[in-house]
Amino acid sequence: MASTVRLTGPKLSGEEEERAVQETPSEPFAGETPQAEGEPLPPIPRGVQGAYRAFLSLRYLRARRTNWIGMAGIMVAVAALVLILSIMSGFLNESRKSLRGSLSDLIIQPLLEVPLDRQRGTMIPNDPALFLAIVRADPRVEAACTQLQWYGILTVPGRGYILRDVSSSGLALVHLVGIDPEAEYTTTDLRESLLREPMFPVGQVADVDDPFAPPPDYRPESRPLPSVILGNQLAAHWGVFRGDKVEIMTVTVDPRTGDVGEPSNQAYVVAGTFRSQNNEVDMSQVYFDRRELSDLLGDSTDFSAILVKLKDYERDKVAVVADLKRELIAAGLLHDDRFRDLGEIRTWEDFRKNLLRAIENEKALMGIMLSLVMVVAGFTVFAILSMMVTEKRRDIGILCALGATPRGILVLFLLIGFWEALFGATAGAILGIWSAIEIDPIERFLSDTFGFQIFNRDVYLFDHIPSVVEPAGVAMIVLGAFLCTLIFAAIPALKAARLDPIDALRYE
Amino acid sequence: MSGTTTEASVILRARGIRKSFKVGERRLEILHGIDLDLERGELLGLMGASGAGKTTLLNVLGLLDRPTEGEVFLTGHAAWTLSHTERSHLRNTKIGFVFQFYHLLPELSAIENAILPAMIALSGRAFRRERKHYTEKASEMLDAFGLGDRMGHKPGQLSGGEQQRVAIARALLLDPPILIADEPTGNLDRATGERMLELLLGLQAERQLSMLLVTHDERLASHCERVVYMEDGQIQADSRVPVPH
Repeated sequence: MASTVRLTGPKLSGEEEERAVQETPSEPFAGETPQAEGEPLPPIPRGVQGAYRAFLSLRYLRARRTNWIGMAGIMVAVAALVLILSIMSGFLNESRKSLRGSLSDLIIQPLLEVPLDRQRGTMIPNDPALFLAIVRADPRVEAACTQLQWYGILTVPGRGYILRDVSSSGLALVHLVGIDPEAEYTTTDLRESLLREPMFPVGQVADVDDPFAPPPDYRPESRPLPSVILGNQLAAHWGVFRGDKVEIMTVTVDPRTGDVGEPSNQAYVVAGTFRSQNNEVDMSQVYFDRRELSDLLGDSTDFSAILVKLKDYERDKVAVVADLKRELIAAGLLHDDRFRDLGEIRTWEDFRKNLLRAIENEKALMGIMLSLVMVVAGFTVFAILSMMVTEKRRDIGILCALGATPRGILVLFLLIGFWEALFGATAGAILGIWSAIEIDPIERFLSDTFGFQIFNRDVYLFDHIPSVVEPAGVAMIVLGAFLCTLIFAAIPALKAARLDPIDALRYE
Repeated sequence: MSGTTTEASVILRARGIRKSFKVGERRLEILHGIDLDLERGELLGLMGASGAGKTTLLNVLGLLDRPTEGEVFLTGHAAWTLSHTERSHLRNTKIGFVFQFYHLLPELSAIENAILPAMIALSGRAFRRERKHYTEKASEMLDAFGLGDRMGHKPGQLSGGEQQRVAIARALLLDPPILIADEPTGNLDRATGERMLELLLGLQAERQLSMLLVTHDERLASHCERVVYMEDGQIQADSRVPVPH
C-alpha cells in the first residue's frame, strides 16, 4: 500500500523554509566533545507553544461534564455574594436615611455651661445670631437654623393609667426641640416629615407654613394653649389626636450655677404629628416653637444647637467642619479643643456613629462569611482539576513528547480554571444582579410558594427589600472569584507540569 | 562507532549515555554508557530483548528522559544543556514520535490530532493564520494514508491501524528530519503490521528521514540498512546490511 502512496510534498511555510535552509549546512562537531558553537538553534518563535493551550483547555472543559459543577459552584458563590452585598448596601442606605431622621448635615452644640476661660470665667454668649452670621458666611453652607433642645416628660390628661403599666414603658421621656419653622425647613427635612403619610392616622399639621397655629378643630375652653407637634408614633402610643391636650413636665438648670431648679409643668395642644422615618425619633421627639420652649425653660437659654446644611455634604463635610471649628473658636463661640475633642461640632454621621458602624460591620461580616462559599467553590474546582490531571496523565505525556513545555502544561490546566472562573463568575454576576433588582417579586414568589414570610415587613421600616447594586462591589467579587479559582487551580496545574512525561507515557 | 561516519552526516549523536534508577536503597543501572550515531537519511533498527533498555535509550535520544550521565547532540546541540523551552522546541520541530500504543488524544478528532504539533509550535495568533495550511497538509497526508473519510472521527472510532496512521501523520506534520518509532507494529495484527511497515519505510525513503526503529521483530529489522543489538543496557552488535529492495 505504501509503495503506491506518493505524497506531493506539502508546501512549506516561510518559517519552515527558513528552518529547512538552516539544516542543510553541516553541523561542525568540535572533536569528541562537540558543542554547538557554530550553529544557531532553530529560532523559537515568540509566544511559542500557544495555540494548543486555549484549544485543548476548552475541549477538555466541554468534554468533561464534571467541570460544570465547578462552574455552577462559582456561579452560585458569586451570585450569592452579589445579592447579599447588594441587599446589605440597600439596607445601609435605607438605614442611613432613617437613622438620619431629623438631623441636619452638621450640628453645632456649644457647651454653654462650660466657661471658655476658667480664670476669667468668660462664657459663650447666649446669642445664636453670632453663630449664624459666621456659619452663613461660608459659601459652602446652604442654610442654617437654630434649635433649642431639652428633655421632658410627656403626660396626657385622662391617660394616667398608662403610667401604671410598667411593661409598656408608659412614662415617656421626650426630646423637646424648639425650632424656628422657616429656617428649619430650609435646613432639615422637617417639612417633608410633616407632609409624609403618617403611619397612624392621628392627624397631620393643617398648615405646614404655619405649623404652630392652633389646629382648626381646636375649641379652647379659655385662653388657647400653645401648640406642639408630636412624633407620629408617640402620639399613637398615647392615643392622642390632633387638637388633644398634652402636658409636658420638665426641670430647668440654672445656667450660672448648673443647679437643677424647680420642676415646671405646662399644657399644650397637639397641632399635628410628623413622621421622620426614624422609629426612635418618631417615638420620642416633640417640636415646639423655639420661643415657647424657651418660655417653658424659664427664659434661661435661647438655643442649644445650630444646624447647618451644606451644598455638597459628601464633598465638603470634613473641610467645613474644620474651617467652622477654627472660625468659631477664633470668635470665642466654641471651646478650644486642641487637647480634648468636645464634639461641639459634628456631622450627622458622627451623631449616629455606632449604629452606622454596626450596620457597616454587619455588611463586612456577611461578605466574609459568604466568601467561604467561594472557597468551597474553589475546592470543587481543585478536586475536579486534580481528578482531570490524574485522568489525563497520558495526554500530558503525549503533549510533552510532541514538544509542549512544562510551563505550557501548567498554563493549559490553569486555563481550564480560568474558563470556569470566567463563565461561572459572569453567569453568577448576571444572576446576582438580576435577583438583586428583582428581589421583591422573587421574595413574594418564595413566600407564596413556601407559605411563610421571608422578609418580615413589620420588623423593618421599609415595605420592600432594599437593594443597591454597586458596580465596584460586583467587580471586586468577580475579581475575588478569579483569584480564588486560579489559586485553587494552580495546585493541580503545578502537579500536571511536574509530571515526568516518561512515567505518563509508560503504561497504557 | 562506525568508521565511515563523517561528522557532517551525523544528525543525532549519543555519547556515554548512562541511565540509572533508584529502586529502594540501591541504584539500578539500565544503560551502561552508550555511544550511538544516527546519520542523515539512515534507517536504524534497534533490536534487543525486553528489558534490554531499548525504550529507555529511545526516550533519552528523543529528549524525553534526561540521562544520568552523557549527552545527546541533536543537529549539533547538546540537548540536555538547553533550557526546557529550547529542548521542547527541538523535540517539536526535529523529532517525530510514533508509539506502540499510538498515543492519540481521545478528545480530538483524527485531523485535530494530526495538526497538534503545529498547535504546539505556534502561538495562538500564528496558528489561526496558518491553520488552513496545516489542516490541508494533514488532510493530504491522511488522505494519502487512506483515511480520507475518517478525518472527523475520534480515536475511539478508529481501528488500531487507522490510529497508527493518524499518529504517523502527526509525527510528520512539521517535516522533522528524525522519526523515532517504538515498536510501531507491536500492537497490530500481522497483516496490518505489514502494511504499516510498508508505509513507514516508504515514507522514510521518500523523505530521506533519519529513522530510529525499535523492534524485537527480526523480520522488521531485516528491512533496516543498519541494525544495532542491545543487551543489558549495552550495545552488543552494530551491523550494516545491504538494503533489500
